[in-house]
Amino acid sequence: MAQGHVSQDEFFTQLTSIIEKKQQKGHGSVFLTQKRLTYDPAKPTTTSEAVPGDPQSDLHPTLPLPVIVRASDGETQSKDRVKNKDHVKVSTIVQPDDLEAFFTRYAEVCKASMLSLRKRDRKKRKADKGKKKKGAETGEKKG
Amino acid sequence: MVYLPTLEEWQRNAALLLQARPASARITTKYHIPNLDSKRYASKKRQQPSGEGQNEAAPEAARVPRAVLEVKAYDPVSGVTLKFKTEKSADVGRLVAGLGRMGRTMAALPERAEGLEDAVMEEAPAAEEAAQETKPAPAPAPATGGGGGGKKKKKGKK
Repeated sequence: MAQGHVSQDEFFTQLTSIIEKKQQKGHGSVFLTQKRLTYDPAKPTTTSEAVPGDPQSDLHPTLPLPVIVRASDGETQSKDRVKNKDHVKVSTIVQPDDLEAFFTRYAEVCKASMLSLRKRDRKKRKADKGKKKKGAETGEKKG
Repeated sequence: MVYLPTLEEWQRNAALLLQARPASARITTKYHIPNLDSKRYASKKRQQPSGEGQNEAAPEAARVPRAVLEVKAYDPVSGVTLKFKTEKSADVGRLVAGLGRMGRTMAALPERAEGLEDAVMEEAPAAEEAAQETKPAPAPAPATGGGGGGKKKKKGKK
């Protein structure tokens, strides 16, 4: 279950395969999560570098912290609530210096593999039908 | 839980949430392709009872599952949840670019590192503003977690 963290290359190949699997299957969900990594694997007992006497030390940390990005196929259990052994989940740690490169690649992978979303020209053809959406767009312009 | 009407609105509010709770807030992106065979969608089919053989084949071909991309900012401490949903593939790039910007906030990095030369003039006042903003923000947030949530919810309903 706990596979530990993988490298960024490995993460992207896994992510691509998860999304591709769902595309081929025709339905399903992919979950991507990102959050600050406050837990240091080297020091398992300390949760974060909390400064005593300053309960808000996490608001202004002394050093930039890494970010953890997780991907999951969401299939933790079957309909009968039986644990799914083939459940796929991967996580990778992105160091502050790698953030930009990571997210550039992340965007490329997402754009290339999320193929079931509505395309541009399709939206124009159905423009008359989607009156609600038009309203949303005008609101966008105002704000 | 609030659905925000536009991506910009969501990004603005999620950025505020992250600034207030950089250590606990998380952002989840869900890419969902609906299952057209499930009961939920089958019930709609039954509403048009007609010649089974002919009519079913035509709509089957036309029924392409339309995927949904949903992005959620959640803070487990205060319970604030901000969501945004889109069907447009054009939003993917913008959305992930926003995730990158928020990743910088999570990593406790300054907002824009690239283009330092151009941004020097802008950054100085921006930093002051940010300092002013962050100082009052933590005060109400830890007092009552729900308070922060309520505030954001009101914004979303506009």
